[in-house]
Amino acid sequence: MNSEEKIIEVSDLTKDFKEVKAVDSLSLNVIRGDVFGFLGPNGAGKSTTIRLLLTLIKPGAGTIKIFNKHLISERKSILKDVGAIIENPDFYMYLSAFKNLEILNRISGREIGSKRIMETLEIVGLSERADSKVKTYSHGMKQRLGIAQALLHDPELIILDEPTTGLDPQGMKEIRDLITFLCKEKNKTIFLSSHILSEVEQVANRMIIINKGKKIVEGNVRDLLNASDLKVSVEVLEIENAEQLIRQSQWADKLISRNEHTMIFNIQTDEIANLNKYLVENNFSVTAIVPTKSLETYFLKITEEAV
Amino acid sequence: MKTSALKQIIFLLVFIILLSVNGLFSQTKDPDVILNSVKEAFTVIEDYEVDVHIKIDVEFLKVPEGDAKLYFKQPNKIHVESEKFALLPKQGLDFSPLALLDDKYTAIYEGDTTINGIQTCVVKIIPIGSDSDVILSTLWIDQTRDLIMKVESSRKPTGTYTIEFTYEKYQDKYDLPSLMHFSFTVDRMRLPKGMGGQLEAENGKAKEKTGPVIGNVYLNYSNYIVNQNLPDDLFDGPKKEGIKEENK
Amino acid sequence: MIRPLVQIELYKIFKKWRTYIGFIAIGGLVIIIETAMLFEGQKSLDFMTRNLRDSFAFFGNLLNGFLISYLILNMLAVHIPFLITLVAGDLLAGEATAGTYRILLTRPVSRFQVVWSKFLAGNIYTLSLVIWLGIVSLGIGAIMFGFGELIVIGKDSIIILDRADVLWRFLFAYAFAALGMSVVCSLAFFFSSLVENAIGPIIATMSVIIVFIIISAINIEIFRTIRPYLFTNYILSWRLLFDTPVDTAKIVEAVIILLGHIVVLFGITAIIFKRKDILS
Repeated sequence: MNSEEKIIEVSDLTKDFKEVKAVDSLSLNVIRGDVFGFLGPNGAGKSTTIRLLLTLIKPGAGTIKIFNKHLISERKSILKDVGAIIENPDFYMYLSAFKNLEILNRISGREIGSKRIMETLEIVGLSERADSKVKTYSHGMKQRLGIAQALLHDPELIILDEPTTGLDPQGMKEIRDLITFLCKEKNKTIFLSSHILSEVEQVANRMIIINKGKKIVEGNVRDLLNASDLKVSVEVLEIENAEQLIRQSQWADKLISRNEHTMIFNIQTDEIANLNKYLVENNFSVTAIVPTKSLETYFLKITEEAV
Repeated sequence: MKTSALKQIIFLLVFIILLSVNGLFSQTKDPDVILNSVKEAFTVIEDYEVDVHIKIDVEFLKVPEGDAKLYFKQPNKIHVESEKFALLPKQGLDFSPLALLDDKYTAIYEGDTTINGIQTCVVKIIPIGSDSDVILSTLWIDQTRDLIMKVESSRKPTGTYTIEFTYEKYQDKYDLPSLMHFSFTVDRMRLPKGMGGQLEAENGKAKEKTGPVIGNVYLNYSNYIVNQNLPDDLFDGPKKEGIKEENK
Repeated sequence: MIRPLVQIELYKIFKKWRTYIGFIAIGGLVIIIETAMLFEGQKSLDFMTRNLRDSFAFFGNLLNGFLISYLILNMLAVHIPFLITLVAGDLLAGEATAGTYRILLTRPVSRFQVVWSKFLAGNIYTLSLVIWLGIVSLGIGAIMFGFGELIVIGKDSIIILDRADVLWRFLFAYAFAALGMSVVCSLAFFFSSLVENAIGPIIATMSVIIVFIIISAINIEIFRTIRPYLFTNYILSWRLLFDTPVDTAKIVEAVIILLGHIVVLFGITAIIFKRKDILS
């Protein structure tokens, strides 16, 4: 099953920093040709996972295979075919963009001429500033240079960690288009990390959401975002009592979670009115009912918590 | 009574002088005569130019053997030219019988002795007057050639030095030293701190050596050119750091 | 792979302004010292040799390029290490500060290759700094004073070396000095692997050197016992080359001790670096 070829295969990956479990028994698979969304709020363990994938840090437990090779033992041959941006795009500020790329090119394991360097700079729209020192670059330009260095050696797997941070909407769109282009036209596999669901939604075919180092949900983006899978958040006064009532009612198995002011139900659109009626009849004041796609709700919730 | 007592005293004095100067049975010589003939013999040499090979043997001083050209003009003018840095003994390099015997002095004949198989007579010279640095000099003189074979001289601030001479005849008429052996006391260096630095600290356990040591310098003379009438201004030329300067 | 890595590291080193501080400082310092010696040198030389002048007349020029280069080489213990740490302390920590570890260490090069190439580049910088010191001090010395016999004034000896017998000693002395400075470079490099800013390694290295020198200078029994174990004690062993005869055994011993320091320091650094989690 060539189409199901696993490009990244992570199993039971764990990394502790002193007391904190940054990554907790994480398993995931990225299939060739995927634009794989790696979602989670800030501090969820996304960057740690990416650093583990790129051997910047060593795992506490678990295994990582990339291109079906063990990362630890075949690090060099794997990294030849991986391009990455990790967090902020940092470069040698005292060197020009061209020189930065030239340096990285020389140790990329694939000697590519300066023509390719200029081409790559052209792709990200920096060819005119190729000879300017990076310290004169804006954040957005550095971000684009970051993408350029990830693409430079024409890798099979491209790992992008928050690639649109600090970009204007136009810039964001360009990145999205680029990702689609790389995947569709160049048959690259892309591992896209982000804390913004909508960003992933638009380009990814599969995704995973993690929080506190753990996997929350994994699957096809389309499935996960399926409109039928509606989640409804209901805001009620005296929520403890309301929850008690619900737990003893026919709605009990539809209640997913509860926080300070809201209960979240997994119900169909036509059931919303009945639920409202039930609560009101039992003398609860319903202050708001918001139907959302479940993933978005969920994601917003954990993102808020993280903030 | 009085006259016989006086006679006795005079007799005693003469006896003591004779005893101390010559020994009772040795032949008494007139030191001035001896010195004058040395002087006389040396006056035939107006000036000379000579190559000097210098070998210094001082315990704390490691200096490679060197060569210099030395110019001499009566009575005691010295000019040294050296391509390389050269150290020469300060005391006695300008030694010349004429200079030594120029000032007023008292000479005492002390008897004869043999140096390196050569019969010499020993004459002590005590300068008169306080302007001289020399306290006492002793000369060992080869009377057959009227040459000074050895000098021992005590000077006020720097102590005693001796010079031993070996002569050769040049151009069949000039007896000039072919070798001078200087021997003198040298104070160990007491160096300002900070020059030494860490390396010496390493050796700090070793006891610090102090006090004067005996230094020996051997000068080999060759290629004399005698009496070429060296101009006077050669001796006050640009090489100021000579004996003249040092002696001021 | 090492060659391009070393070239890259050298390129980065020599693209940084701070790299030139060392060269400028040494050049300036040498010019200042040699100019000062032009005016005051004879006086201090006379002072240093005053005892000898009681017994000897001096002919010729002792205040020459060799003497001044010799005196300048004595600065090595404190001044030049500072200039070396400026660069060597930055080699690893600088990448951490700049965040460039992330692009460097995600390439198909091993961590050991990276740390080794940086170490080599740091040592090449160190070597070039010492060579520069030699060139300017001997060069400017030759122009301003010319060459002549070298007088070396030790604690209880004075050595005068024939001018023809000096240059080889300087060549070996600079080589030895480079080795000593390489220990300083290795130490700064080691500290550089521990932290994520370049100031720390500079301060730490200089502190170690200054403390060691102070311990060397204080004449207390306990300090005397530990003195042979301090590398600073051997940094100035190049002076042994200006003795006659040269105490080869002692120099070899010093070379072995210094090499040992370099190997151990680099070894520890390499291990730390290999195990390091890059979080910057």
